[in-house]
Amino acid sequence: MGCVASLAYAATPEKVLHLELSAAETGFDPVATSDLNTAAIEQQLFEALLTYDYLARPVRLIPRLAATMPVVTDQGKTWVFTLKKGAYFCPDPVFKGQLREATAQDVVYTIMRFMDPKNRSPYKFLVDGKIIGLDELGDEARKSGRFNYDASIAGLEVLDRYTLKIRLKTTDYNFSHAMAQPMYGVVAREVIEAYAGDTASHPVGTGPYRLGRWIRSSLIELEKNPNFRHELWDFGATHSGSDPALGSDPKIANSEDARVIAQMKGKTIPQIDRIDIQVIEESQSAWLSFGKGELDMIGLAGQFSPMALTGDRLKPALVQRGIRLDRLIDPSIAYYFINQQDPVLGGMSRERIALRRAIFMAQNDEEMIRVIYKGQAFRNAYPIPDGVEGSDPNYRSVLNYNPREANHLLDQMGYAKGPDGYRRLPDGKPLSVRYTTSLSSQDRELDEMMKKSLDRLSIHFESEKLKFPEIIKAERQCRVQMRLSGWIADYPDGDNFMQLWYGPHIHENNGSCYQDPVWDRLYEKTLTMPASLQRDKIYRQLARLLELNGVTKVSTSHIRNVLSQPWLLGYKAHPILPSVWSYLDIDDTQRPKP
Amino acid sequence: MIAYLMRRIWQMIPTLLGVVLLVFFLFNWVGGDPAYVLAGKMASPEDIANIRHQLGIDRPLWEQLWIFIRQIVSGDFGDSWSTHEPVSQIFRTRLGPSMTLLIPLMILETAVAVLIALLVSAFRGSLLDRSLMVASTMVMSISLLVYIIVGQYVFASVLGWFPVKGWSQQLSQNLTTYAVLPVLLGLLVSVAPSLRLYRTFILDEVGQDYVRTARAKGVSEMRILWVHVLRNAGIPIVTNLLMGLPALLTGAFLLERFFAIPGIGREIILAVERSDFPIIKAATVYVAMATLVANLLGDMLYRVLDPRVNLD
Repeated sequence: MGCVASLAYAATPEKVLHLELSAAETGFDPVATSDLNTAAIEQQLFEALLTYDYLARPVRLIPRLAATMPVVTDQGKTWVFTLKKGAYFCPDPVFKGQLREATAQDVVYTIMRFMDPKNRSPYKFLVDGKIIGLDELGDEARKSGRFNYDASIAGLEVLDRYTLKIRLKTTDYNFSHAMAQPMYGVVAREVIEAYAGDTASHPVGTGPYRLGRWIRSSLIELEKNPNFRHELWDFGATHSGSDPALGSDPKIANSEDARVIAQMKGKTIPQIDRIDIQVIEESQSAWLSFGKGELDMIGLAGQFSPMALTGDRLKPALVQRGIRLDRLIDPSIAYYFINQQDPVLGGMSRERIALRRAIFMAQNDEEMIRVIYKGQAFRNAYPIPDGVEGSDPNYRSVLNYNPREANHLLDQMGYAKGPDGYRRLPDGKPLSVRYTTSLSSQDRELDEMMKKSLDRLSIHFESEKLKFPEIIKAERQCRVQMRLSGWIADYPDGDNFMQLWYGPHIHENNGSCYQDPVWDRLYEKTLTMPASLQRDKIYRQLARLLELNGVTKVSTSHIRNVLSQPWLLGYKAHPILPSVWSYLDIDDTQRPKP
Repeated sequence: MIAYLMRRIWQMIPTLLGVVLLVFFLFNWVGGDPAYVLAGKMASPEDIANIRHQLGIDRPLWEQLWIFIRQIVSGDFGDSWSTHEPVSQIFRTRLGPSMTLLIPLMILETAVAVLIALLVSAFRGSLLDRSLMVASTMVMSISLLVYIIVGQYVFASVLGWFPVKGWSQQLSQNLTTYAVLPVLLGLLVSVAPSLRLYRTFILDEVGQDYVRTARAKGVSEMRILWVHVLRNAGIPIVTNLLMGLPALLTGAFLLERFFAIPGIGREIILAVERSDFPIIKAATVYVAMATLVANLLGDMLYRVLDPRVNLD
């Protein structure tokens, strides 16, 4: 059973947190995880070396399994991590009743697993091509069919039981973010080898919780890890700057922090004995369950925001019940892109650039926010969203909604209207825009919005409906002509967004298939720079080039609304951490008795 | 009888083979490439190729088809591509909840439909008959989704008669608590078409000579309906029932999804969304087999219900 504990109910009433997952989990081997729901659970089961401060905004890295922040030398190429002493894995039969402490060697093994082709890890990219000697091990494994975990490489050097030196091939100031991902939660080699082939069912980590009862795709119970070290809740308020989701008032944010601190300061982590997570795919079911007090917290789905909110405030009926609303801007962007290699819309001639810019200028983002996102999004024109290092709230787009100017631009560039009233290419050939969307109901609404936008320009609209995997495939093969895509931060640094347009990332995630030597050179320069005003300046140049060349139009950033019951203590929504359950408490005296 | 059975079983093989070919080529034609989703947000073409290699979808089609046939013979469809859970385990653990929902629904639906059909056939053309038929048409014209959304809101949330959602490990608790509202809502939609169909079957029999003869001999109307008519109308009713049996294997997607029931319907839809071919393959083959077996069972039951039927 691995770290799956038997159910044992204590005689004293235990504190139980009731939660929902909007999609089924996919198994609990961190190396194979790619979805946020599973990552949320793994955040509680495993510990990466670093994590993000619970309260600090903008988010800030802090040690988790590491004792201190890493010592970074050699211009961001050498990283020395020292682990906490006394961080034990949760009990498991593999350990034969002995306490098993996490060591630097476990971190090496954990990192190596990402390059093992057998694991086909979705988060391999965070170490791929970065650590000296690691890629070569991966290549050998691809040829031999076996990854040599016993090999010692220059890039991963164990200095002593608790100290690890990581050497990178090139400067990378973002490497610390990789070491804060829940997927990089440390595992024990003997456990992985003992449960080979079924590691997803045997999560054994050093986190505050371990897996209890598990009914796949239905119920996941987490219970306290009895081996978790003594750790106190000790976060301080360090909010700075404004947060549009909170109404641009840092004072509100600080008072919210003060509430959380007053409720939690000095308590042992974790306070909640058991976490009961149900997979509820339908938002109506989650909403009604929350209304009945069966769930302690829910992420408010877009279609229910008019029922719960008036503007950005909770409805009075919910306020009266003591329900709390936490709002934040997701570290994500929704952006239109046009394939630069497309025979009709692509290319860098003046006419083509003008056509693409006109199409972008016909998109009414405010209408989309109102109609499709029910007001739960912000117009954001910058590729790096708010709250992410390198964002620029003062950036002014040149591609704002302006159908008159867009039409004027098309007229000037010779896109004349034919006898049917629709525009043609300057050479007289027919012109239409193929817009790719999935089969979901929201995407049907997006089709209608795009049809309306193109009608404003008298351009024919074509809809291409594909299943999601096919969209990704077409995008990576540069076959999508135009699409509204989205990106959510893996880590809160501008690089995670700007790389979306980097030439060598064509066939990876550069869906616009944009390759511009000027842009690429500038971007490469940022890779060697720490977060700084100089780097931000280059980011602004990059963003402007994307607009001027008609490559992309960043449209919106979404707002995350989380509702919590009055008996839930210490909750504050975090933009990056997939779950914060170990930092919470419950006041059961306030919970209605069944 | 044995010869008939052997012949029918022999005939199943080419039918099943046809299904296998159809599923295989349809999936390869329109099924999507799962490697692009499994690879994650930032994967290189080499990563995609590695995943395709591991899944075996880079092999020649004939080789993949041969693997598929071997899987059917061995009954081992491997692991889910998305979750690595063995397909056999997925069916073993998810079929129970689906059956807990669908078997009571099927029994109730049949019982209610037959009872009402007998009742209205006794009063053919009356106000009761016409009202019930109009009501049936109205009820079956509304989507199950509407019933679920409204039913869940009114009966579970507002009135609090049932839980909004949930499932337990105990069959008795599921049958008496969690499955009640989904079954009743499912019944609302499914009973109307069955009622209309069974009414037709029964009315066909009511006009037969043997009914007139029974009446002439003074047999009571109740006995005529329950013994003579129902027995003869039973053949098409049984056919209809048996044809519905394979659907048990595909679950009730909407009910399972809204009431958070960990059934097979949710799993199959999820597999289609994720292009998780091992699950799709297994589900299709199981349903095809169940349909063939249900057909055979139906034919055997005809013989039991009506000894005049000659299977040879």
